[in-house]
Amino acid sequence: MSGGSSAESTAGNPVAVVAQGVDMDFGTGAMAVKNAAFSLERGRFLTILGPSGSGKTTLLRMIAGFQTPTRGTILIGGRPADAVAPHRRSVGMVFQKLALFPHMTVEENVAFPLKMRRFNPREIPERVAHYLDLVRLAGFSKRRINALSGGQQQRVAIARALVFEPELLLLDEPLAALDRKLREEMQLEFRRIQKELGVTTINVTHDQREALVVSDEIIVMDQGEIQQQASPVGMYRRPANPFVAHFIGVSSFLTGRRTGTGLTVNGTECAGQAVDDIAPGLAAQGAIRAEQVRIAAPGGDLSGCDTVLEGQVSDSIFEGERLLYFVRLPALETTVQIYHHDPAEQAPYARGATVSVGWNARDLLIFPAKDR
Amino acid sequence: MPNPSPDFRYPLRWRLMDGVERLADTLWPRSMSRHTGWLFITPAILLVGLLVLGLIQIGDASLRVLDTATFLPSEDWSLTNYRKALASSTYLTVAWRSLSGAVLVTVLTLILAFPYAYALVRVRKAWIRKALLITLFLPFFIGQVVRAYGWLIILGNSGMVNEALSLVGVAPMRLLFNYGAVVFGLVQYMLPFAVLLLVPALTAIPEETETAAGSLGASWPRILWHVLLPMAKPGLIGAGLVVFTLTLTDFAVPAMLGGGSQDYIANAIYDQFFRTADQGLGSALALMLVAAGSVLVGLVFMVFGAGTLAMGGRK
Ligand SMILES: Nc1ncnc2c1ncn2[C@@H]1O[C@H](COP(=O)(O)OP(=O)(O)O)[C@@H](O)[C@H]1O
Ligand SMILES: [Mg+2]
Repeated sequence: MSGGSSAESTAGNPVAVVAQGVDMDFGTGAMAVKNAAFSLERGRFLTILGPSGSGKTTLLRMIAGFQTPTRGTILIGGRPADAVAPHRRSVGMVFQKLALFPHMTVEENVAFPLKMRRFNPREIPERVAHYLDLVRLAGFSKRRINALSGGQQQRVAIARALVFEPELLLLDEPLAALDRKLREEMQLEFRRIQKELGVTTINVTHDQREALVVSDEIIVMDQGEIQQQASPVGMYRRPANPFVAHFIGVSSFLTGRRTGTGLTVNGTECAGQAVDDIAPGLAAQGAIRAEQVRIAAPGGDLSGCDTVLEGQVSDSIFEGERLLYFVRLPALETTVQIYHHDPAEQAPYARGATVSVGWNARDLLIFPAKDR
Repeated sequence: MPNPSPDFRYPLRWRLMDGVERLADTLWPRSMSRHTGWLFITPAILLVGLLVLGLIQIGDASLRVLDTATFLPSEDWSLTNYRKALASSTYLTVAWRSLSGAVLVTVLTLILAFPYAYALVRVRKAWIRKALLITLFLPFFIGQVVRAYGWLIILGNSGMVNEALSLVGVAPMRLLFNYGAVVFGLVQYMLPFAVLLLVPALTAIPEETETAAGSLGASWPRILWHVLLPMAKPGLIGAGLVVFTLTLTDFAVPAMLGGGSQDYIANAIYDQFFRTADQGLGSALALMLVAAGSVLVGLVFMVFGAGTLAMGGRK
């Protein structure tokens, strides 16, 4: 069986992966995955994002067919994920710890799936060379795995998972161990390779930046449950609940009661817009991103802001291209975070300085109050 | 002195340690500390030195022929003992039996030990692992002689196995005092050694590597052949060498389960030293055993590289 023939079997099916009502119960208390449902079209790059222990690996292993769901179904190209033995599936996986074969050279590692899947031996060297080229390791074919850097080993693992042209590529936090610079480089590599080959890909990470950079779609998980599935832009602009707003980007949260035009916090009216319908008077939670809050000298220009309040700078953090202010708002009895760009053009506000703070009604998202 | 009160005393253990430290400082001044490493390997050097001295003695004895009239070794040196040993078909048979037996026992032991060690490393339930360990070590505590005696009871002409066979109408079989019985006894004796030497090698192979090989298209026999065995090679070679040398030089199992008809080299040497009292011939046989063992171990190192035994693998 070759990757090519199995890819054809899904040619008429635009949906590559469907999960319905998937539970995973290890019998150790809380379920690792609860009622997961999603679908992914062919050729798309999906990232499953969530904090450590949220069930990402468990979900991915079920998609890979290494584990059978306690309840529910996962279909890959219309067939249950674990319907055939692992070595007959058309799924390439890059493991968190890479799981390369240290007793083989780079070339032998990449040729391994081709030999195991009985590709034509005359085709193998050419294919291996092609995929090593794709991951920019052309000159390294004779090297031993131990003689490669972390980033190079990463690429070998990717080439090895792709070389047999699987229907589906699964990545389990493969970049987590790399330093930041290399990680960001590899994220762009992932994106390039995935676009070049068009292989349906599911990536797991706890790094929100990575999810935003590489994906066509993101699923956010928390405590075994899928919180939201959306495009990176959609997820960022329209988080479905406070958890997602908290996990992606930097947001400040306001707790109060729903009013006709927004939220009243500690008796102060804050302009905002509700994500779900919430009856006025009910407890609600507002979230606003740090870059949507504007800061100015007292009485300074905050034109266009629907809510303007006074506060004191309690701390500021220099992040290079921007400053992050923590401003205490006595009226709301809370502190908000504010990104302020281009601080070079003016002296930064000192700690303790009084400032004006404002935002637009459409940027304060109001959610029903949840216990979070 | 930061003593809280005049009659305060440090605990006895502390004062003892202080004394020991002062004593050590006098005997081995701090200025000598860069030579301390040598101090620690001195016992090993002494032991090896004694061994070398013994070997020289044996070498000397092996060159002297026993005078059957006076029962004294000859004054002058000759290679007569070696010639006698090599010309004797008895000793060639014994040598062949030991060597082929050692190879066979090594292969069988590794074949049995590998799955056992694999199960020990991979099994998830702690109680199964404990049961496996106890089963492995229980015979260890019994000792070689008692164990061999146990086999005599079980496998003897009126032993448990033959009793059971007679119940189903099979005539008693000779299960003891043959080549098979010795090999069987040796494999059973060597199994724990081999398992213990394989466990670290298999622990070093992440389970994920096997899962990965499976997802890349390898069925389990191919995972075993292409991934597990090559990655466990250092452990297999180490275990093989230990089992081989221990078997080649074993005395008790061939003596007891072979019943005198299945002597290994060690038994022949024993006979020369303690029965015939021909020290010269015994020494020659002993040296030839040492030489054969060293050459074989040397060959293994040459073929696989001495580095294979180090867990890190070759550069
Ligand atoms: N094999 C297992 N047996 C028991 N519990 C497990 C097993 N694998 C994962 N879990 C539990 O399931 C939860 C989710 O784990 P995991 O999927 O690894 O999370 P993530 O990959 O998001 O960090 C955790 O609480 C973890 O302890
Ligand atoms: Mg994980």
